Amino acid sequence: MQFFLPIAHMDVNIVLILFYGAVVGFLSGLVGVGGGFLITPLLIFTGIPPIVAVSSGAAQMAGTASGASYLHWRHGNIDFKMALILLIGSWLGGGFGVYLAKLLLRDGEFGNVVVFLYVILLGFIGVSMLVESLQAVFRAPAAGDTPAATGRKSLLRTWFERLPWQTAFPASEVRLSILGLLILGASVGILTSLMGVGGGFIMVPAMIYLLKMPTKIALGTSLFQLLFTTAVVSIMQAGVNHSVDPFLALILILGSVLGTKLGAQLGARLPAEKLRLILALVVVAVAAKMVLTLLIAPSDVYDIAVEVQ
Amino acid sequence: MRRWLRCLLLASAGICPLPSSADEALVVAPEEAQVDITTEFAGTKLKAIGAMSGPGDLIIKLVGPPHEATLSRETKLGPFWVEGETARMEGAPSLMFLYATAPIASILSPADQEKYGVLLEGVPVHIEPRLHAHASDDWRKAFFRIKQRQGYYHEDDTAIRVFGNRLFIADMRLPGDLQTGTYTIETLLVKSGKVVGRHVGQFNVRLAGIERWVWNAAHDHAWLFGSLFTLLAMLLGFALNAVPYSRTR
Repeated sequence: MQFFLPIAHMDVNIVLILFYGAVVGFLSGLVGVGGGFLITPLLIFTGIPPIVAVSSGAAQMAGTASGASYLHWRHGNIDFKMALILLIGSWLGGGFGVYLAKLLLRDGEFGNVVVFLYVILLGFIGVSMLVESLQAVFRAPAAGDTPAATGRKSLLRTWFERLPWQTAFPASEVRLSILGLLILGASVGILTSLMGVGGGFIMVPAMIYLLKMPTKIALGTSLFQLLFTTAVVSIMQAGVNHSVDPFLALILILGSVLGTKLGAQLGARLPAEKLRLILALVVVAVAAKMVLTLLIAPSDVYDIAVEVQ
Repeated sequence: MRRWLRCLLLASAGICPLPSSADEALVVAPEEAQVDITTEFAGTKLKAIGAMSGPGDLIIKLVGPPHEATLSRETKLGPFWVEGETARMEGAPSLMFLYATAPIASILSPADQEKYGVLLEGVPVHIEPRLHAHASDDWRKAFFRIKQRQGYYHEDDTAIRVFGNRLFIADMRLPGDLQTGTYTIETLLVKSGKVVGRHVGQFNVRLAGIERWVWNAAHDHAWLFGSLFTLLAMLLGFALNAVPYSRTR
């Protein structure tokens, strides 16, 4: 069943796009990520121009995250105070990122920057999470919710604790620096613009390992804040690059709704360390796939960039 | 139109002594003037129907509007294959289909192929930035190779059917991601290696209906469109999750 997308300027199979949406929705509901790191490569693989994939993915995530946040809110998994501070940071970073994307597009470096950011971040985060969650699953299946029990303090964590404006976050049962949260939010915001990712796969691990938040609160809060991050990025991409394809985003959202429900139901039943393990496996799998495409020699070294009319 | 119909009918009956001068040797029916891209658009088929004055070979050249493309070359950075240099390819048609009754190289001399522009790799392309002749040749070849692989440039010597050395029908299949703009269909009648008849027609490809509306909205009122659509996406996501399925249907 084909459908012509006016902004991507190509016809796509609706069933295939619905399926992509469902897979991404399932991950959103299950492990609190927007799924942008998965949807962007899938769409590009289908032939959608990268900038349209990134931008429409942001619009789709705004839709998916809105539904998923509601489900998390009902379970009491959102730390609104934390989310608000992270949001302010990510909006600032997101705005900067959209213009950075425009500069990189003009210089033809967009593709490389996106691919390397993906590989480095996904690889680092995925492997670290995998090691930790495997240890947690095998060492003490019913252990505490946060991985704080290990007792070791990373350099980043120590630095984070020394930053000014420390304040209490009762919902997450932690005390953190507002400045640190703003910096974290801004970093994720830049990534959102460049990679079409909500940053959930960075935000969630950062909340769990760096901020020491309970896993489920981290998932809910991450989704809630990425609802607004992606919404702003979607608006900016549409405004600056004219690259949000509404039909593509709507089909993805419809697909993701069912997936989100299934994911959230399963997520509610699984223990925290198993959720972290699933997230780690997903992140590592995506990173491995990206590394493979970088390592395998192309059949033709030349390629024409797909462009938006 | 009337003249064409009369000739076509007479030619099909074999009783129309079509004039032998170069201008009159070939008559082609006016093609569809417009192709509308709507929501169901997934490519389209075009037919070129015409009549010719006795035995000969036909070449039909379908050319899309010119476009600019960025060509990139992957280079090795340590163990990784990354995007390296890029070049803008300007002025080449977005699409070029050559249809003929026999392989074009066997119908026309290389000089005439170049003269009439019926060489897939003979399209003039401006490469930006300017490169040395050798380097620019590599880029040009790569460009045509990729266009052919993607199906935007191709040569087909089976698509034209000729009936009784008089009538011909060409079936042309256009892809789903057609660039909008003006397309030309040039028909050449070749006898004994010489072009004796030539006909040029045009059609327009444009977005229509909601596709056009959305494209215009996304470009003319980009910020308003982006804001309203994102809000709609959020409301839809929320409604579909918050309201029970039974109510949303």
